[in-house]
Amino acid sequence: MVDLRDNWRIILLIVFILISGFALFSPTLAADDDGGGGNVAATSSVTNLQYGLELSGGTRVRAPLVGVTAEGVEFGGDDPRVVGQNVSDELDGAGPADVTARVDATSGQTTAQPQSEPSSTVEVTAEGITTDELAAALSAAGYEYETVREGVTESTREEVVRILQNKINEAGLSGGTVQQVTTAQGENYVLVEVPNQDASQVRELVSERGTVVIEAHYPTGENYTRDVVLQQDDFQSIGTAQEGQSTGAYVPVTVSESVAPEFQQDMVDTGLAQQGGTRCTYQQNPNGTDPCLLLVVNGEVTNAFGMSPGLADSLRGGSWADDPVFQLQTTNISEAQQVSINLRAGALPAQLDFSQASGGTVSYISPSQGADFRINSLITGIVAVLAVSGVVFVRYSDVRVAAPMVVTALSEVVILLGFAAGIGYPLDLSVIAGFIAVIGTGVDDLIIIADEVMAEGEINSRRVFQSRFRKAFWVIGAAAATTVLAMSPLAILSLGDLQGFAIFTILGVLIGVLITRPAYGDILRALTTVDR
Amino acid sequence: MVEFTVPEVDYTRYTNRQLAAIPLAVLVVALIVIGGWYVMTGSPVNQGIAFTGGTEVQVAIDGPQSAAEEQIRSAFSAEPETIRSVPAQSVYVVTFQSEAGSDGISAAALERQAQDAGLDVRSVSSVSASFGANTQVLALGGLGVAFLGMSILVFAMFRVFVPSVAVVLSAFSDIAIPIALMNVLGIELSLGTVAALLMLIGYSVDSDILLNNHILRRSGDFYESTYRAMRTGVTMTLTSISAMIVMTITATLFGIQLLAAIGTVLVFGLAADLMNTYLLNLSLLRWYKFRGVSR
Repeated sequence: MVDLRDNWRIILLIVFILISGFALFSPTLAADDDGGGGNVAATSSVTNLQYGLELSGGTRVRAPLVGVTAEGVEFGGDDPRVVGQNVSDELDGAGPADVTARVDATSGQTTAQPQSEPSSTVEVTAEGITTDELAAALSAAGYEYETVREGVTESTREEVVRILQNKINEAGLSGGTVQQVTTAQGENYVLVEVPNQDASQVRELVSERGTVVIEAHYPTGENYTRDVVLQQDDFQSIGTAQEGQSTGAYVPVTVSESVAPEFQQDMVDTGLAQQGGTRCTYQQNPNGTDPCLLLVVNGEVTNAFGMSPGLADSLRGGSWADDPVFQLQTTNISEAQQVSINLRAGALPAQLDFSQASGGTVSYISPSQGADFRINSLITGIVAVLAVSGVVFVRYSDVRVAAPMVVTALSEVVILLGFAAGIGYPLDLSVIAGFIAVIGTGVDDLIIIADEVMAEGEINSRRVFQSRFRKAFWVIGAAAATTVLAMSPLAILSLGDLQGFAIFTILGVLIGVLITRPAYGDILRALTTVDR
Repeated sequence: MVEFTVPEVDYTRYTNRQLAAIPLAVLVVALIVIGGWYVMTGSPVNQGIAFTGGTEVQVAIDGPQSAAEEQIRSAFSAEPETIRSVPAQSVYVVTFQSEAGSDGISAAALERQAQDAGLDVRSVSSVSASFGANTQVLALGGLGVAFLGMSILVFAMFRVFVPSVAVVLSAFSDIAIPIALMNVLGIELSLGTVAALLMLIGYSVDSDILLNNHILRRSGDFYESTYRAMRTGVTMTLTSISAMIVMTITATLFGIQLLAAIGTVLVFGLAADLMNTYLLNLSLLRWYKFRGVSR
């Protein structure tokens, strides 16, 4: 009796529900089929749904980068490195490391308009430098420029994102993500999300530049001199932080072959590798100590150490360069971990701005709060659906009309959840608000269909049904188009916590109008048409 | 058997002017409230920390409310702007407004202070002033574009002036009235309430389009069409209102502020929509149908 051609809408709906069910539950099913595959053991929940920070707990940091940039700078034939040096000389509070001059390298990969000339940029990433100061410094150094603005260049942002991701991975914060977001006004932010970590930990990790250098501190005549002897990229490999019985905390490092002979020579010249080693008393008496090696993190001396007689011997003998390993000693193990992370991940070219006035946002949800929200919002949703069902049953007092209505509305949510699981979109409260909007408009539409189709007594032919259904659909389509249009601006913008809400409301309305609501019409016809 | 039927209103007893007077008066009052708010506070609505910048800390404390509030005040070095308690859970929501000009106290410092005082920190969120200003532009821009898009679409669909204006006007009123009520009741504009205002555009247009469609595009007596549209439309709106009331109560009990805010604003807006659709929109349509055409 069931005519496939007549009921294709219902069949389509069932197919979609099945696909969604598959997307929601498939790995657990697959695990059962394989006889308990090990790779899904980590999936603790029953479904494949991923939860955003609001529903799982964790920290989200959104901050702009500190810096000012001049664009369209005429280098006048100077090497970018020289330009950077010259500009930094004119700036108070910015060292050569804070000034980067670039001949535009991104022009090839950006989708910029063809008329935009590849321009050269000078950016300063030290704190507290204003655009005016940069402009003055450029003029003083004799470079022409087109514009100066707040913010840093695209390549710097990309590098920051890459390094932050490294740092988070190195620190073992699993599931952490870093990405760039842009506001409606074209401002750029770096978005860091780390599940299950509290805000201060994450901030500590991402807020520091993470520069690590080794300096030699040695007497030259009356005074002491400090020279950088090893930099971040002079290391070939960096070990994990360790703590020995007698040695204290340290990070084992290997100096790269090209730098090792030079370092060896430096150690001999500065007197660090003298006969019998050196005893460092920098902390107590910086101006009366033997030569020291200083561990300088973010511009501050965090530890100072001397050299053991054995190491000094091998440095002087020249055999050290063949096997250039040594230990960076730190005061405690957590500092050693920090140094190790910073050395591996690299230093950030620009800092994240956390100031109250111009910074971004920080939010932290405790895991227990997240779990509570997850369960409670589910209960809230169910209660709302029950309220809808109650009203609908009372209004129509006909189970044949009301029951499919509730089932259809719920199937929209199932399909949306399946979609979210399928593409791995993390569920957040704003997405749940979207589900509520969908159920709301969905039930409205189903009421329109039901009233229209059942208007004026029995439906005794398919033609009558079709014409009524089409009439109802005009209203539904018009309302749906309005909703989609109303939500689309928010869905497109990558920033903003309402994006999930907008995306899922639009998706839900589209699924509703194209799949589930027409199917309800067919169900209703099957249940109410007299002539069959 | 419990059963509710939509009552048939005898519209012939009232003139168009009488029908339109009530919703227009309410709209004017709402606009006066919003305007007055703008004059007094410099902003048409009370903006939450998502828009002004500031920090919100949620802590769980057992014990009586007054003792807990005392404990909260002593824990932080800054004076909290508000302390709200979440019913059914011993959770307190403490907000700190970032003051213009001053650097304020950072979220990290507040978190540390709470932990030092032995409070169980449930969540911390902080928004800087400039980020808040961005969000504000985004939210207002989104709302504006959505409203404009809706208006254009409505005009394109009906292609007649008066009925289209009726839809747009009642949608405008559906948004203005909840905003005024938010001011009066001290509900702050948050991302949740912005979402709710956006949803209202959709809900509002639903019932208006239904009414217009029944009256303009169907054959039959004006009052008969009206009644049929009302039977469907009122059912729709009442269903949504009941769902939203229940959701608001549940979400408030659980302390899910976003959902509670959405629910509250939608209840206001949907109630306003009932009034606007069947008094304002209807009177304009009747005027258009009986006087506008014969002219």
